[in-house]
Amino acid sequence: MKTLLSSFLLALLVAFIVALSLSLGAVSLSFEQILSGFDASSEFYFTIHEYRLPRSILAILVGGMMALSGALVQGVIRNPLASPDVLGVSQGAGLAAVILMTIFPSVSIFWLPWAALSGGIIAALFLWFLCGSHSGAIKLAITGVAMAALYSSAVDFLMLTKPLEVNNALLWLTGSLWGRGWNQITMLLPWLVLIPFAFSLAKRLNLIGLGDDVATSLGTSISMTRLWALTIAVGLTASCVSICGPIGFLGLIAPHLARRLVGGRHQVLLPCTMLVGMVILLLADLVARIINPPIELSAGIMTAIIGAPYFLWLLFKVR
Amino acid sequence: MSLSTHNVSVGYHGQAIVKNVSLTLPEGKIIALLGPNGCGKSTLLKAMARILTPMGGEIHWQGNNLHSTPSQYLATQLALLPQTQPIPEGIKVKDLVAYGRSPYTGFWGRLTKEDHKIIQQAMEQAGVTELSEQFVSELSGGQRQRVWLAMTLAQDTPYLLLDEPTTYMDLNHQVELMNLFKTLNEAGKTIITVLHDINQAARYCNHLVVMKAGEIITQGEPESVLTKELLESVFSVTAQIHTDPVAHTPMCIVE
Amino acid sequence: MLNRFKKQSYLVQCTALLAVLCLFIWLSLFSWSIVPVSASQAITALFQTDKSIIAHSIVLDLRLPRALIACTVGACLAVAGAIMQGLTRNPLASPSVLGVNAGAALGMATVTILAPSFGLFGSSVAAMLGGAVTWALVMVLGSAWRGGEHGRLVLAGVAISALCAAFTKAILILHEDQASAVLTWLAGTVANARWGHWHQLWPMALIGLVGAQLITPTLNLLNLGEDNARSLGIKLGWARILCSILVLILVAAALSVAGSIAFIGLLVPHMARSLVGHDHRKLLPISAMLGALLLLAADIISRPIIFPLETPAGAILALIGAPFFIYMVSRRNR
Repeated sequence: MKTLLSSFLLALLVAFIVALSLSLGAVSLSFEQILSGFDASSEFYFTIHEYRLPRSILAILVGGMMALSGALVQGVIRNPLASPDVLGVSQGAGLAAVILMTIFPSVSIFWLPWAALSGGIIAALFLWFLCGSHSGAIKLAITGVAMAALYSSAVDFLMLTKPLEVNNALLWLTGSLWGRGWNQITMLLPWLVLIPFAFSLAKRLNLIGLGDDVATSLGTSISMTRLWALTIAVGLTASCVSICGPIGFLGLIAPHLARRLVGGRHQVLLPCTMLVGMVILLLADLVARIINPPIELSAGIMTAIIGAPYFLWLLFKVR
Repeated sequence: MSLSTHNVSVGYHGQAIVKNVSLTLPEGKIIALLGPNGCGKSTLLKAMARILTPMGGEIHWQGNNLHSTPSQYLATQLALLPQTQPIPEGIKVKDLVAYGRSPYTGFWGRLTKEDHKIIQQAMEQAGVTELSEQFVSELSGGQRQRVWLAMTLAQDTPYLLLDEPTTYMDLNHQVELMNLFKTLNEAGKTIITVLHDINQAARYCNHLVVMKAGEIITQGEPESVLTKELLESVFSVTAQIHTDPVAHTPMCIVE
Repeated sequence: MLNRFKKQSYLVQCTALLAVLCLFIWLSLFSWSIVPVSASQAITALFQTDKSIIAHSIVLDLRLPRALIACTVGACLAVAGAIMQGLTRNPLASPSVLGVNAGAALGMATVTILAPSFGLFGSSVAAMLGGAVTWALVMVLGSAWRGGEHGRLVLAGVAISALCAAFTKAILILHEDQASAVLTWLAGTVANARWGHWHQLWPMALIGLVGAQLITPTLNLLNLGEDNARSLGIKLGWARILCSILVLILVAAALSVAGSIAFIGLLVPHMARSLVGHDHRKLLPISAMLGALLLLAADIISRPIIFPLETPAGAILALIGAPFFIYMVSRRNR
């Protein structure tokens, strides 16, 4: 009952923040003006339909997908400090995307998610190779962080030597929703297929939380579940990163917050994590936009400001 | 006849800890695996619960190789309670116990009325009914052990495998647990447990398997197994065997 | 060759390093200039200055301060790293990994942009304060003093770095609306160094480097572990505070002229240790020279990459340093 209520409230919150993001910005719009913005003849058509609406939709998609990916990773390796960005997967995907854009600028943007995906997979495999399958929470996190440092310094280097447009650079350094529109949404849509697959792992993720021995004795194949969950997580992360850059800490904090709200059963946790991720990213983007218009901060800066202290707190708490 | 090992060697990283063991576990008994630390009793138990794959030999369940039997089916036949358990975040006691039903539920893990009944019963047997709304992470070590036991009971299998289940429990809960084993055993379950305490094993179990250095030294009823010579050779202690004045089972007193 | 070098006496090693350092300074005076400067002009400019020759004024006004600043900044960061590693007995400790760099950068960015009237001195003080706050936070959160795990300390540092970096970026973007300038500054460069910077740098660097050399005996005792150090008469609290102040002076000095340069503090003390062992009395001077050499080399290497534009030397160092960081992490945990 409590879980249903929490999810419902979260969904309401998402709707409310979407309404806010449609109304606030360089120009503030009233409710009627927003509605009229869906009409092609209106003067607000461009602001609403071409700018704020796609951006909100994108925040919903990316927030949900990145949060889901974090929940999968945390569930499957039973490590509260893990998430695609702490483990360097986001940054690896970002590096691959940046390499594609700077070194092979003639290649179609269609390939961007695929480049990001291969970068993410390579980063994940590399981490696996360095850490092995049985490493403690701290060790995995610290190795991941070191890898992330390598990838981001490579991105920095490419940005400095082959300068892109300034706002684009910002996107790849911190993660941002700036200047994203319907095109990017259509690029992201096919990847939504992964979400039902992720949900189908819910029951097995519960059992993995009980430890390898018990999960096996309850009839779950550990290695298959791990492989599937991690592959889906990398796919979700890479597709988001290829569009919005590595938005830090989102995949880390959303599952934790959701777990506090609705508990650890993955059947409930996974959808709720997505809702929490949406709320965080929508809010981060909204604040980043309205803090000092027309200058925009990037959403990634905002998530880092919320996420880093939370990470510290987790670090303090984890055994 | 149901669970048997044939020349089984098991270990970690290519090192055999259990060496060439052939053992048939009698059905319908409470069986204790005994032996000094590192003798391979837990390793053997894990192999029988298919957590570890034997390096050599075969383990048979109902005459078929355990490791080629479908895992989902085995989950309805053999339940394992490991020695240490992780502490899952944000999981209530009733959720955890319900996870024991997962071999029977569909892919979303939806519980039927029957499932709820079995969960309720398992919680009563393990004495954790009043904890059901608490989070597992908030419990004490002994309470947690009993909650996990309830989870294993909810799995509703004819065989129960337990790895030192009494370790973190208070004395009264230890006694309750051992008595629960008796009740379950009378209801038809076979219980295989690793135990540390020889006297506890002799008092509550009706079949003892004694191991040393990865091999089986002897097995049988407590009265025939527990001898001065055995304690001397396996545990390197000099001890006397007396009869327990209450239960009339053998017990050893170290000199 | 490296093995033979290791066997030499400390004095020989120092002299050899100094010689190589001079060679690199000379190289950096004439290599990759838009206005051609010949190798001999680089020498004559120093000793027989003729201001009418353009090459001479380039060497004296641009290249010489740049080389000196690169050396000093490198030395400061390396020594700061060596002190931090000695103090925490954590081989991964260094100003950039433990968040001191990021904190100092945040302090500096705040003062430079929000209160520009304080000038250069004010921003150095702000850098020290910022660094001090993060250093204290990391220490408390990573529970270093209670013999906490090495990894926890590092993760605390990384998280605080991320936080400070986010704030720094936010401040700089809101102020400048120019991501590339932010990036250059965060990566760290000595390309814009002038004599003005040098005059600001050398007093602090001198205090820091000499002070560091003076506390080396204490660092050696700290290396024996807290209890031993205490029984040998070290006042632990004071030793730590003193070391921390030195680290902050060194980092603030380096940062205020060159921006946030990472990984020298991590990398160099390990190289130095493999040469002269664990005695801090030898370790610190060698670290200083190696640090100077490394930053100077990075500065020279960075010039041709997008010539005639400048690439920040810090970006090059990060590319070298990050794999080393990974290596250290995975080796330690095995």
